[in-house]
Formats: sequence, structure tokens, C-alpha cells
Amino acid sequence: MKLQARLGYTAAGMTVFAALLVPFLLYGIFTKGFAALGLHVDEVYSGGPKVRTVQTHSYSIDIHRPVFPHVLQSEKPFVQLDWRPVSALPPHISDVVDVDGDGQPDICVSFDVPKDARTPLRVNVEALNPRYEAMQNVGKEKFSRLIVRVDDAILVRVPLARP
Amino acid sequence: MATKAHILKPGETAPRTVGRSLLLTLPIALWSLLMFANPQRQSNRSVQIASVMTAVFMIALFFMMMRTCSTFRWRRWFFVALGLLFPVGFIHNVMVMRGTMGIPIEEMIAGRTPFCYLPIPLLILPAAFTKTLLFPGSILPGGGMSGAGMAAMAGVWLAITLVVGKGWCSYACFFGGIEEGMASVPARAKLRKIDPRWRYGPWAVLLAMVLLSLALFEPAYCLWLCPFKAVSEYVAARNAVGMVQNGIFVVLFAGLVVALPLLTKKRTQCAFFCPFGAFQSIFNKTSVFDVKIDRTRCSPCVLCQNACPTMSLTTESVTRGETLMSCMKCGACVDACPKGAVVWHIKGTEVASNPERARLMFLYAAWGMAVMFGGSIIVEGLATIVHVFV
Repeated sequence: MKLQARLGYTAAGMTVFAALLVPFLLYGIFTKGFAALGLHVDEVYSGGPKVRTVQTHSYSIDIHRPVFPHVLQSEKPFVQLDWRPVSALPPHISDVVDVDGDGQPDICVSFDVPKDARTPLRVNVEALNPRYEAMQNVGKEKFSRLIVRVDDAILVRVPLARP
Repeated sequence: MATKAHILKPGETAPRTVGRSLLLTLPIALWSLLMFANPQRQSNRSVQIASVMTAVFMIALFFMMMRTCSTFRWRRWFFVALGLLFPVGFIHNVMVMRGTMGIPIEEMIAGRTPFCYLPIPLLILPAAFTKTLLFPGSILPGGGMSGAGMAAMAGVWLAITLVVGKGWCSYACFFGGIEEGMASVPARAKLRKIDPRWRYGPWAVLLAMVLLSLALFEPAYCLWLCPFKAVSEYVAARNAVGMVQNGIFVVLFAGLVVALPLLTKKRTQCAFFCPFGAFQSIFNKTSVFDVKIDRTRCSPCVLCQNACPTMSLTTESVTRGETLMSCMKCGACVDACPKGAVVWHIKGTEVASNPERARLMFLYAAWGMAVMFGGSIIVEGLATIVHVFV
């Protein structure tokens, strides 16, 4: 038998052996390897990392780092704020928030908190700082402009005004 | 020791005895028991019954492959079952967990969008350049519909591709079975003249989608062109654009997965459109198994070309003694050849030196993957149906 043929059969045998290893070893190795690549989900979806938390007497507001979409992405830059836990929120929220942490109020966010989780949410945002865009009666129009309930938090995304 | 090639002529009886076929089936039977006897999955009676039915089904099909020495028609039963039962289990889960096939924006923000393998080629360049995955899912298990997360799907895809290469499209893809089922319905193709340039379709779609995804930084294929959104899930339409997207999904599904396979007896979505299939073709170059044509036995009858569901054989390629790189190793051409000229082959060995050995080695690997991956999906779909009666 020629060397090439021997190599071919060896490779084929190794392939069959690899098939045996897939559920017990290879699948796990590849999955962990992929997870270890240090990739992250696009922040337009995930909302970016949390940078600060503002604590009130019964609930907290998590402020995320502003998200700047890529050049041709159809979303505007935005900042995400999470009100949590939903169970501790009063029926109506009207909070003035210092988003950038400079000690000055940036936006005033107001929305109702319905008891039924399926009730659509609407939010009004008044811009106290020209860096942020105002929103009137907004639901979930775009990833950069919405109010939604996710698990035990109500998320508001406020678009940043173009400089 | 492997047997010599057995070529069945029309009307000829099966060359293998029942005993020998059973012996060759034994490894797959043991593998099936190992895969389906997982106590973690046997949580309820419906799953238990579905697991037993699937194990028997997969073992029986492999036995028939051994007994008859043909591959395609038995593999087709598995593949069509996979294609039909995947939407059953998936849609049932979606409806139970969120009550709609539309993915609400909340679920995307929460990273709970289920991830299939189709967008994998679209994610590679953005991930390489920016370390960002432009898909609203979670990398690790994220709960809800996200299942095991993107890393798990990437892991299973890599592992199975390492073993079967482009054979993924015949032994693991849980979408292709629908059109293969449709293609098997008519006795004869009504539409026989197909411009061979359509073969470049998947590459064109792949190139366009990769560039668009990189430019727009969104999974363009999932948002605009995936026909299988019609039988899995879609972005919940919040505006006119969403309605257009969903309309495109339905039209593409009706055209490429239902109507054209019925008219042409080909897997038209796979052959002319699927960008993942084009991407997967690259792994035909790395796979040790392929299909060759023994030119000393071949009389150019074009039966193999007519049988190929993805038009992966041309007169020129047959003359060269090989398939095109889009060949997905379904075995249709091998079974169709009356002279035994189209053969399974291991790279490096002489063509037709021992094609049955090559077929057996490939089938053990591919069927093992089919049992592990496709089998678990069949169990899920079957359990959904069994649950209605039990």
C-alpha cells in the first residue's frame, strides 16, 4: 500500500475516532475555546456595561456606559438606564438623573409602572442637558430609543444628540 | 475486515446477509443507546417514548444501509424526519415560553435569541475586527429560549464539521430536510432545464451577506433573507420594515423550500441560495472523505447528474472524475449509478480500490453525528407529538 493511501486510511480512522470524542470531549473543548476568545455581544443589543448605580430609598437606577453604534448602523448613540427591582418601583416614576456623573441633572425620566407585566410601557424624557434627546410617549421603537421590561428591571434607552 | 465493493444492479438481491448487516450495525446500536439513554433527558414519559422510537428509527435505518449497500434513500428518511420535527419541537418551545414566534425586542436585549448555525459565516469578520458578535444572543447559556448559547452552537458546529465537513448539510442541518422531503414528492421533475450559473447563487449570497453584515453591523441574512424564519421565529414586526422582512421570509420559504423543490426535485435553497452551505463547501477540502467517479467504468449516462440534489456534478467534473466542492455527500449519485462508477473515496487512496470500506468509515462518522445531534432534535419534536397522546 502506498504511503498516501496509508495516510488516507489513518486520517479516516482518526476521523471516526474524533466522531466518538465529539459528545464527550471535542464539543466541550470547542465550546470553551469559543467562550474564551473574549468576544462580546454587540452593545447595541446588550446596552453596554454598567458604570454607576444611583440608589434611592426603595429602588436603584443602573446607568450604563454610552453606546456608540458603528458607522453605518441604523441606530443612534444612546445611554441605557435600568430601574430595578420592578417590585419596589412606585406606580409612577419621575426621576431626574445625572447620567454623566458631573453632579448636574441631565434628564428627567417619567413613566408609569403597570402591575401587569404584559402592559406596554411608554416613557417621556425631558432633556435638561442638550447632549441628550427628549422623548415623548415612546414605546419600543428602536434599540436606541425605547422602554422595555426585562426580567426584574425596566430599561430606558435615551438617544444622545448629535454634536 | 471491510468488505469489497458491492454494487446492486436493478432487481439484484441485497449482497449482505442479515447477520453480517446486524454485526455492522452493532456499533451504531451501542452508540444510539449511549446517546439516548441519558438519564438527564429522561425526565418525562413523552421523552422516554420519543427516545426509544428515535433510537429504533436510527438503528433500523443504519441496518438498512448496511443490508442494501445503498445510502441515500435511508438517509433521506432521517433527514426528512429531522427537517419536519425540528419546527415542531422548536415552535412548541417558543409558544410555551413566550407565546409567539416573533422575537420581542426585550428578548433580544436580554440576549435570549436562539442562535442557529446559519449566521456563523456572517459573524466571523466583525468578530475578527472588533471582537464583537453582532447577534442578539448570549455567548454562554442565558436562560429562556437562548438554550445553550452561541458558544455551544459554535462548538457543536466545529466538532461536527471536523468530522463530516460539508456532510453537515446532509447529516446535521435541521432545515434541509424540509426541501429534501418536498423534492422527493413528485415522481419526475417538471422543471428540468436549470441554468448551471444558479450554482454560484450561494457564493453570491454569502459574499453579499458577509459584506453587508460587516458594513451595517447586523446579521443581515437573519434580518432579511433567511427562508427558515417562516418555520422557526422572526423579528416581531414593530413597523412597516418588519412586515416587509417577514413577507420576504415567507416568499423565500414558499419559493425555494416548497415550490421549486416540488418542480425540480432538487434542494433548491441549498443549491442556489444558502450562504452557510457555500461556506461549508470550504470544509470539503479539509474532509478526508469524498465522492469520486471511476472513469474506467463510467459511461456518460448523466444519471448521477440528474440524481444530485444540489447539481454538484457536471459533465466536466465527471470527466475529471470528481464532484464539485458543493457536494454534500448525500450518496444520491452513488446509489443512482448503474455501473458502480460513482464511489465513496478516502483521499490518498486509489479510486474504487475499496469504496465500500470508504463508505463504511464515512457512515460510521456521519451517522454517529446524525444520532448525536439530529437524533436529539428528533426526540424533542417527537416528544412534543407524543405528549399529546400520553
